[in-house]
Amino acid sequence: MSGTTIPRAGLLGRDEDFASIGRAVTEAPARTRSRAWWIAFAGACGLLGVFAAALAWLLINGVGIWHNNNPVVWALDIVAYDWWIGIACGALLTSATLRLTGAAWRSGVDRIAETTAILAAAAAALYPIIHLGRPWVFYWTLPYPNTLALWPQFRSPLVWDAVDIISFLGVCLSLWYVGLLPDLASLRDRAFGAVLAEVEARGRSRRLTLLKAQAYGILALGWRGASTHWERWLMATRTLSGLALVLVVSLQTGASVMLAGTVLPGWHDTLLPVTFLAASLLSGVGVTAALCVLVRRALHLEALITERHLALMARLMLSLGLASAYCYATEIFSSLLHGDAYDRGVLVRRLSGSHAWAFWIIVVFALLPVQLFWFGAFRRSGLVVALVGVAAAIGSFGDHFMLLIVTLSHDFLPSSAHPYSMGAWGLATLAGSIGLFLALLLLGLRTLPMVSITETRRFAESHPDGQPSGERAPTPAETAEAPLWGVSAEFDDAGTLAAAVKAMRARDFGARIETYGPVPMRRAADALGRPAGILPLLALGAALMGGIAFMALCLYATGFDYVFDVGGRPRFSWQAFLVPSVSFGTLCGGLTALLALLFQNRLPRLNHPAFAIPGFSRASEDRFFLALEAAGPRFDPARIEQALARLPDGRPLMVRRVPL
Amino acid sequence: MRQLFAPGADALLRLALLTLAACLAALPVVGAGLVHSSYVTGVGVAPAQPVPFSHKHHSGELKIDCRYCHTTVETQATAGIPPTQTCMTCHGQIWSGSEMLEPVRASYAKDQPLVWTRLNKLPGYVYYNHSVHVTNGIGCSTCHGSVTDMQLTYRANAFEMSFCLDCHRNPEKYVRPKDQILNMSWSPPANQATLGPELVRQYHIRGGERLTECGICHR
Repeated sequence: MSGTTIPRAGLLGRDEDFASIGRAVTEAPARTRSRAWWIAFAGACGLLGVFAAALAWLLINGVGIWHNNNPVVWALDIVAYDWWIGIACGALLTSATLRLTGAAWRSGVDRIAETTAILAAAAAALYPIIHLGRPWVFYWTLPYPNTLALWPQFRSPLVWDAVDIISFLGVCLSLWYVGLLPDLASLRDRAFGAVLAEVEARGRSRRLTLLKAQAYGILALGWRGASTHWERWLMATRTLSGLALVLVVSLQTGASVMLAGTVLPGWHDTLLPVTFLAASLLSGVGVTAALCVLVRRALHLEALITERHLALMARLMLSLGLASAYCYATEIFSSLLHGDAYDRGVLVRRLSGSHAWAFWIIVVFALLPVQLFWFGAFRRSGLVVALVGVAAAIGSFGDHFMLLIVTLSHDFLPSSAHPYSMGAWGLATLAGSIGLFLALLLLGLRTLPMVSITETRRFAESHPDGQPSGERAPTPAETAEAPLWGVSAEFDDAGTLAAAVKAMRARDFGARIETYGPVPMRRAADALGRPAGILPLLALGAALMGGIAFMALCLYATGFDYVFDVGGRPRFSWQAFLVPSVSFGTLCGGLTALLALLFQNRLPRLNHPAFAIPGFSRASEDRFFLALEAAGPRFDPARIEQALARLPDGRPLMVRRVPL
Repeated sequence: MRQLFAPGADALLRLALLTLAACLAALPVVGAGLVHSSYVTGVGVAPAQPVPFSHKHHSGELKIDCRYCHTTVETQATAGIPPTQTCMTCHGQIWSGSEMLEPVRASYAKDQPLVWTRLNKLPGYVYYNHSVHVTNGIGCSTCHGSVTDMQLTYRANAFEMSFCLDCHRNPEKYVRPKDQILNMSWSPPANQATLGPELVRQYHIRGGERLTECGICHR
């Protein structure tokens, strides 16, 4: 998989190899220690201050400060919520789809997309809480054994929102963290290298350096890059991506089917879920693309996020923009063709009413700018890609505003029509939530690898230097008497490693064979003959059980335990319960995948004999290690060393005995 | 590479993770326990009163009718707290020199009511009517417990919404014949399953669904 793979054209700088990718990413945060970062961070904190003021004013005065009225009971609160969750869904869907289809160009994009999804979901998560009116009792939307003998109303989107957001954050954070594990191990090893260098130079290390290494060490949970780790890691990321795909589609279409299921003109449309999904995808990809450009510029990662990445994002935006334009056009066309008077009335109000600016924002910001990407020069320009991406997000805000406000402010009855005007506090809350997004993003830029080291390396070629890693090996005196954990051999190429595994497995050395490396080692794992894991099955089972359990809970609660007439809806309105059931199921599946990955790999394991292999820190950089652990009376290190020295293809750079 | 973490670090990390998980799991259990504890609900706690009035002595042993003091229980929303004059109808004659009853005589002399510490209190947004319940087959002891056995009066039930709803959802399990309303030791008879629905019909109580409408209690 690794050493001999040809780098995909244009997705990686010409001279990049395993080591340089690791260095580029792990040292990138240091480049944010600049004045620009501090200015941006100060700005974001200023917006956070606006957020705090808006929330304080909200708590004092209630949701009326957003100018919500009757009939416009949902105003900027829900508009902003839908907007954020649309961005989050679009970004997560991008990452999950690219991973599932195995697209090579996900290398520079997927971490940024997942980060966008998490931060946008975090900003969105606040909205359902603060628009409750009494936000301090937000837990009333969850089913728990309360003293009221009442269930939450499972037909209500408020409950869906609570379950959806929790599930989204759960699945998205799992996917992000699982992807981050090997990168954190990389950071840990670099930080530990700094500690050792300080010890070398000054006799002891600085406290802060050691703490940093230990913090990364704890976050990495003792990831060692063993081939079993990697095999399960591949399965876990794919499983989580699949679950994320289901979750995102269910969440977006669930919300829009809820609107389409009403009879209100402007909502009552079977195309709405598709329009919704296309628009949210466009905004998610737009924000991701803008952040890619930002990360590329701020961290000088031009070699890892290349012009080709940007061009591919631009093409994606163009196709999504065209899909969006097609959906809007179809909606207008179908209203003109067979809409009734009310439907046509909404169309007129959208295009020329008091909120017509929302529609024209969609056209000017979302649909027109992407057309620039018909031209190759614009596709390759970072600035244009970033600007168009941000514009797509602004256009998406116009979309949600138009969809909710225009329909709500005017239904069938002239008497229930009421104009709505945006309040300053609604805008302040929105700006504040953007501040939250930016502040978290800037902190992330400074502390975490914003480009996946692992994913980028999988498409890189390593440039073997043929030199053994420099660390002092244990002297024969040290290993002669001490009990041995095993014998290790260092390779600089995954192909030779796989050949060595094959050769060593052919004979019985009384040893357990394991390989360690910086990327998944498919051929070595095949040679080791690891049995197929049941991780995806576990996750699928948990997802099904969770979904069924939640559906059963809803049916029992509304069908038997607390029959409550809501507008004459049937007792067993299972359709309404599908959205939270699917969400909860994916949450169960996602957490199971994460826990199965850790448990099956026996993680966390901070102290492990494998870490004592000389030069092991390069197992997270550009070296591959073969370890033969003593397991049985036939274990004889001398025999193993002889066999390793006489390997048919490629000799190891170094063979070492590893004391226990 | 030498080890970044000492061998004991694993045990520590796992202990920390387990502790965290245990705390998370314990949070709802502790919360539920706290909410249902008598510290929060006040069930079984007899607060200090100006006079240590004993329901057990008066209505249990002396068999004074509830309505002798709580005069409006059958006609009004509140059952009524007796004025000092009611106490003095007897205590003007007996125990008239008792030190324990000094606050009662003082109240009578100064024409200022005794200030009792209230036990059973519903939130302001709940509209509860004693007469509706008492005249439709719900006895005193269903809510107030066996008052005739209380030396000092305490709250017998936490008047949480679930307590009210238990009865409102299944009134047939709690209704009793009219002559049993004041019976403090009443418990559902063996034939409650047949008697209950019959009484519900008799009292024209309109089933669980009507009684659980929000507006029944929250107006």
